Amino acid sequence: MNSPTDELLMRQVRDGDVAKLGLLFERYHRPLYSFFVRLVDRRDASEDLVQEVFLRMLKYRHTYRGESRFTIWMYKIAHNAKADYYHKRKRATPLPEDEAEPVSQDPIASESIEQRQEIELLRAALDKLDEEKKEVLVFSRFQDLKYEEIAELLGCAVGTVKARVHRAIQDLREIYYELSSEGLT
Amino acid sequence: MKCHEVTERFPDYLAGRLDETEQAAMQTHFAFCSSCREEAENLSAFWQRLEALPEEQPSEALRARFYAALAAYQQQLHAVARPRLSEIFDGWLARWWPRQPAFQFARAMLFLCAGWFFGQRWDADENRLSEMSQLRDEVSSMRQLVVLSLLQQQSPSERLRGVSWSYQAELPDTEVLSALLETLNHDPNVNVRLAAVDALSRFGEQPMVRRGLVASLAKQNSPLIQVALIDLLIERGERQAVSTFKQLQANEMVDKAVRQRIEFGIQQLQQD
Repeated sequence: MNSPTDELLMRQVRDGDVAKLGLLFERYHRPLYSFFVRLVDRRDASEDLVQEVFLRMLKYRHTYRGESRFTIWMYKIAHNAKADYYHKRKRATPLPEDEAEPVSQDPIASESIEQRQEIELLRAALDKLDEEKKEVLVFSRFQDLKYEEIAELLGCAVGTVKARVHRAIQDLREIYYELSSEGLT
Repeated sequence: MKCHEVTERFPDYLAGRLDETEQAAMQTHFAFCSSCREEAENLSAFWQRLEALPEEQPSEALRARFYAALAAYQQQLHAVARPRLSEIFDGWLARWWPRQPAFQFARAMLFLCAGWFFGQRWDADENRLSEMSQLRDEVSSMRQLVVLSLLQQQSPSERLRGVSWSYQAELPDTEVLSALLETLNHDPNVNVRLAAVDALSRFGEQPMVRRGLVASLAKQNSPLIQVALIDLLIERGERQAVSTFKQLQANEMVDKAVRQRIEFGIQQLQQD
């Protein structure tokens, strides 16, 4: 019942009790992993990014001030880690092996064929969505962040975030129907 | 509520973050505006459709990697226990240091002004001036120590260096002057003794040096040094040297050229 808050745990980590990061890992490595999978559509890269986020938390733990929610700080780090990942990937020459292990290769057994098709279609549509729009959409739709919080972690106005979410869902819907009419299977 | 106001609220509508009043206002608008209603329904349906995307599960390897990294970090932290203090200090500093560049700049300017202000007062403080002169004295006595130690060296060239170092002392203390006189009287090397004559000529005003130079003349046996000393004493008009001059003149052992020089010297000194 009285489990310590994220903020308390992170303050303890900051002040030298780094073992407490284990508790935060248990709470957040899955949401973070999902976040990255939805953004970069790669399982291996997403696991690397989750690891990177927790390593950065250790490295920059002294910068944690605990003024806002811990998750905002965490997703700010995640946002930066993802930006660095894209930056590196752009500079590196893509190899055929780089395309290995896309998420859609691993369907869950209990899903029906229709469900699986629907999931693949949604993933393909998300993958085609513009990076910025995709990120705000994932933050608000899947990571359960308020628009004010997204604005804080991205360092922009709330209005910008809302406008971006609106356009994101419109664009995604369009891409989705385009892909489904093309008959992606 | 107008159409554009409704559209603006779509993101909040989708995320279910509208309050009751706004929710009601939108429903009222939908009752009269079918295009807004349809758009809202479509977007909402698609928002719901995204529910189909399952929560992704990472592999167990991720957990293993994380705990390995955490253990390594802890080990590193315990291995160097001291830097933790500096980290705490860094953290403390980081919390004090503003994050906004404008505030950072303002704080830096404040420190600069404070530094300038205290710097002004510092300069004006006379105590600081006396500290400066104390420092200068210390440097000077350091130089004299160097002279004294060089004059003790075995090698004539080192002793020569010692003599020339004495030029750097603005006004050498008695210890240096007597060391120079000692060199003049007893150094086995003629060149060193000659350099000592030159060095001492700068301090001819000092009674100690005047007496020393006159006394030294009687002790010297090298004509070179004798002539140098005689010239110096004549130049300074040292009348006390006349009796020493006469003693030397009477001495048959003294070099002839030296005795001629003495004769000239006695004339010069008695003329003045």
